Amino acid sequence: MRDEAAVSLLFKAVAMLTLVVLLLPVVIVVLAGLNAGDYLTFPPKGLSLRWVVAFLGSATFMSAYVYSFVLALVATLISTVIGTLASLYLSRSRSGAAAALRGFFMLPVVLPGVVLGLALYIFYVTTDIGLARTFAGLLIGHVLVTCPFVIATVTASMVGFDLSLEEAARSLGASPWTAFRKITLRLIAPGISAGAIFAFIVSFGQFETTLFLTVPNHEPLPMAMYISLRYKFEPTAAAAGIFAIALVALSTVVSSRLVSLRRVFRA
Amino acid sequence: MSDIRLVNLTKSYGEGNAVSEVNLEIGEGEFFSLLGPSGCGKSTTLRMIAGFIRPTSGQIFVGRDDITALPPERRDIGIVFQNYAIFPHMNVAENIAFGLKLRKLPKAEIARRIEAALKQVGLAGYDDRYQRQLSGGEQQRVALARVLVTEPRILLLDEPLSALDKGLREEMKFWIKDLQKKLRITTVYVTHDQDEALTMSDRIGVMSKSRIVQVGSPQEIYERPKTLFVTSFIGHSNVLDVTVTGREGDMAVVVLDGREMRARGAADLKPGASAKLVVRPENILMGAALGDGEPRLAATVLSETYQGALVRYRLKLGSQEIVAERQNQAHVERFAPGTEIMIGWDPGWSEALTA
Repeated sequence: MRDEAAVSLLFKAVAMLTLVVLLLPVVIVVLAGLNAGDYLTFPPKGLSLRWVVAFLGSATFMSAYVYSFVLALVATLISTVIGTLASLYLSRSRSGAAAALRGFFMLPVVLPGVVLGLALYIFYVTTDIGLARTFAGLLIGHVLVTCPFVIATVTASMVGFDLSLEEAARSLGASPWTAFRKITLRLIAPGISAGAIFAFIVSFGQFETTLFLTVPNHEPLPMAMYISLRYKFEPTAAAAGIFAIALVALSTVVSSRLVSLRRVFRA
Repeated sequence: MSDIRLVNLTKSYGEGNAVSEVNLEIGEGEFFSLLGPSGCGKSTTLRMIAGFIRPTSGQIFVGRDDITALPPERRDIGIVFQNYAIFPHMNVAENIAFGLKLRKLPKAEIARRIEAALKQVGLAGYDDRYQRQLSGGEQQRVALARVLVTEPRILLLDEPLSALDKGLREEMKFWIKDLQKKLRITTVYVTHDQDEALTMSDRIGVMSKSRIVQVGSPQEIYERPKTLFVTSFIGHSNVLDVTVTGREGDMAVVVLDGREMRARGAADLKPGASAKLVVRPENILMGAALGDGEPRLAATVLSETYQGALVRYRLKLGSQEIVAERQNQAHVERFAPGTEIMIGWDPGWSEALTA
């Protein structure tokens, strides 16, 4: 047990303030989505489920929600595999190339999303490789944006990983793949799960890069919300926000439960 | 017949060699130690035998088989690491079962072997524990059990005692040696600790700067070091400046402090050349202990240090300093600092080496 009294009051106050600033928008969106009035206003004019029902009944929003979910899921799967492999290389290679590549792989995080989206769009269009405004083209954009998150968390979990564990498995008769699967993968699983959660959340909420790459008539949720607000200013978008927050919160809770269960199991 | 044979084994990294042209034959059931300071290439040699490092050139044979190109999992060689490498996400029983499951043994057989292995290493009932619940000594026993249960042809031990505290190290030294003797498994043991090597080994290979400099029984290594490096690395030695004057039978004749004396020495010592005379502190005889056959040299006692079972003297011999040790037995003569005494040693227990 950590000694709570050791944390200074000032520190607690600052932490609390930060938390409030971070969570306030979430609260505002939720309340706005439960608005009883006709327009998106805050504070809401009374509470009702009217716009939640409207969201659930809206073909545009529901399909956008499912589209974003599928996109995030596929992007997460690809990023997790690619990112994990990249981390293995980055953390094990002693060559100078690895250090340079580490920075290179992190570029999509540093680069403004708008720039990345624009760059990809121009690339797709000028090369005419059939990716402009396609699901595959959008997916590539999302993988680029989410991969660094996987690389960062998995690389962190590889720090201090004892290579002799893998060697011990090998000399006990395990092939390189078996040793990786039964030893390394199990031990870095928490890092991989954390990276996958990040990737999913980032992809689900991705806007700027998506802007340039969306398939006509197949808007992901953030785009759909934006378009809806531009033309109608109805609280349906905020109601959609509630469901987006719910999904992200749920995936975080479920995954962290999985990860900590594994920890408990190990103890 | 030799069980492991290393032929011109070499590993180079960029500019330098980590291991240079190592040739070794290790017999069946032998406990062989690779002894040397850190960076001498002993661990690299071991890791090449295990298959984790591919040699730049040379070959490794186990029995009649050339295993140089085989991956570790097909070598049938067990290794215990310095940090034991217990899989932290598996309990003790699962750790030990790891190699057996890969060999697709039936469940009942695996359970039987785990129980037997745990019993053998004195950890019966530890099945459900995890690595973090084990002490260093216990982890080492689990690591050994995990390896031995697969019945490997060869056992490799990479500084397995260095992470333990002193008391436990002493205990494990004899325990490992006894277990090895009982199982008669060919063992290569890597250590930088001369005590471990001398106590446990059938033979020792001393390594220095990527090469094997001497191979022999603990007694040969200690009593007949072939180079100054071996002399200084193993135990304490007095290294005195002498001049070679000739040979007498298979002994060399040298001059120390103006006195001519015999010493064991290789035939390549040329008359007129300067050389080093090596005498262990415990072989220096003082005062009345000196017999008639030994050369007698006048020395002055500089200091006397009482160490319980031993008494240690620093002596001045001409312009050189010399350390002598005596067992602190009943009625043993003691010498106060400043005392002028006669010292000497059995020529057969002194070694002339090329400087």
